[in-house]
Amino acid sequence: MGPQPYVERYVVQGGVFDAIGEASTQLKSVLKMLGIPSDITRRATVVAYEAEMNLVIHAGGGEITASVFPDRLELFVRDEGPGIPDIPLAMKEGYSTATDEIREMGFGAGMGLPNMKRNSDSLDVRSEVGKGTSLFAVIRFPSDPVQQPVKEG
Amino acid sequence: MSGGVIVQEARCRGCAKCIKSCPTEALRVSEGLVRIIPELCIDCGECVRVCREKAIQLYEDDWQLLRAQKNLVLMADPTFYVQVGAYARPALMKEALQSSGIEDLTEYEAAAYDITAYAIAKLLETESRERLPFISTYCPAVLRLIQINFPELVGRIVPVESPLEIGVLLWKQKTGRDDPVTMAVPCPAKTTLVHAPEGREKSTMSYSISVRRLIRDILAGSPKVTGSLPAQPNRRWLHWSVSGGECRHIQAFSERPLTTISVSGLRNTKDLLTELELGRLSGVDYIECRACDLGCIGGVGTSESRFLSQLRLDSIQFEWTPTDEERLAAASRFESDVWRLEKPFTAKQRIPLAENLKEAMDKLRTMNAIFSELPHIDCGSCGRPSCRALSEDIVRGHGEMTDCIFKLRERIYGLSAEIHSLSGKIPHTFRSQVIHDHEDQRFV
Repeated sequence: MGPQPYVERYVVQGGVFDAIGEASTQLKSVLKMLGIPSDITRRATVVAYEAEMNLVIHAGGGEITASVFPDRLELFVRDEGPGIPDIPLAMKEGYSTATDEIREMGFGAGMGLPNMKRNSDSLDVRSEVGKGTSLFAVIRFPSDPVQQPVKEG
Repeated sequence: MSGGVIVQEARCRGCAKCIKSCPTEALRVSEGLVRIIPELCIDCGECVRVCREKAIQLYEDDWQLLRAQKNLVLMADPTFYVQVGAYARPALMKEALQSSGIEDLTEYEAAAYDITAYAIAKLLETESRERLPFISTYCPAVLRLIQINFPELVGRIVPVESPLEIGVLLWKQKTGRDDPVTMAVPCPAKTTLVHAPEGREKSTMSYSISVRRLIRDILAGSPKVTGSLPAQPNRRWLHWSVSGGECRHIQAFSERPLTTISVSGLRNTKDLLTELELGRLSGVDYIECRACDLGCIGGVGTSESRFLSQLRLDSIQFEWTPTDEERLAAASRFESDVWRLEKPFTAKQRIPLAENLKEAMDKLRTMNAIFSELPHIDCGSCGRPSCRALSEDIVRGHGEMTDCIFKLRERIYGLSAEIHSLSGKIPHTFRSQVIHDHEDQRFV
């Protein structure tokens, strides 16, 4: 058995646009306190943020679980929304099923999944129409994950 | 903290009003005194605004000593020139300063702001689009916020020196003089420009005082201002004291139309930087953030209402478009590299909970356990801005659970219940006596 991960769980409510960013901001502060390098932290924050958007816009809410292992961060995102009928199509940049109303709010540009893929080392999306979607992203740390903090001069 | 904000301990009564005003949660109150956590403070001055006791102040050098110097050379922030209604023109203010024996550097300032705008415009033209947007270096509080909270954005800070430094450099080059220069600052952040600069080893300026003090001193001397000095034709630089002025100035020197965002106030600044960090601002060329509302005219060291300052600024006539002569002057100085930052900005992240990841994870778990015990009302009575901050302080070894008055009350309640139950117990040596002595109710 490997070492126990540090786990954070965030419940994201559907349709609450003002709350987008709360989970990713919290994750950012957690990773900072753990001393995870800032570029890894930024990538993880982007993936979590896109997940939050998907949960709020499309899925009617869901859950994000972040598990920090010594060598990697795993993000597991689960919802019981409408599901994605054609995953390869959804992975294409610019493809979106967001309504006009949502697009008017500046969301739904069809960059969500591609952006998540770009910022993670591996991304696995599984979906069943009518049942929901689950998404598993891994971000690996460089061999020595704790960076030397810059001391005040 | 780089010394822009100082605490006058004798005045502090530990009221803890300031701790919630701090945008980076850098303040703590312990033993009746406020304390600044230096590695979190960005010198924005929000605490200076809320402190009713004037225990937290903007750092200033000794004005009486400076005033006693034979000639005082002044580099005044643009906000200085829109503070007084009667002299809301650089030329009138210059005359007022002269009648108080102070020499200002407005000619060099006008040129310096042109060079800065020109240099940024040139960099934006040549930089590849993926590396944009660049972030302005003008507000030192924003820069510190980026260094501490947005380390991934440090590389986007435009490598151009503050025009206030460039102005002094130009003056020194042109006149060959080396008198110490005093800067009139609108805020604690710009104080750090003089005393603890980030983009260079040493500032070209030696002392700093607040715009407010300087204005009061000048007005107290009832200056003679006749309007005899010629008006300065180039007044674009004054607009850097309001949000958006910098972007307009850069656009005036740019060959292509720029997409820029200007925000003011720390809430807007934090939100915008968060969006930038998330990669949501593609297509934007330049970002201008100011920590204070409406820009530098909202600084805590100014003397006039920011709204009136804005009105005055709007009433000053000027041209955004530079004359051919001004454009040429900026272009020729661009070649000299006088505008370039000496050294790049670096990230200054806070130290993690522990040196290695496993230990940090353990501490974070403890921190979460502590946090779940706390009342989550962020009352501030423990001297921390929030229950979360208290739990972090505890795992970092800077506090204990009973710093929370609710937890303290719980413990006292528990203890008193224990005392009560103990008071009912009798030493076993007396036990037989108790059984026989039914009269004495104490032992029942």
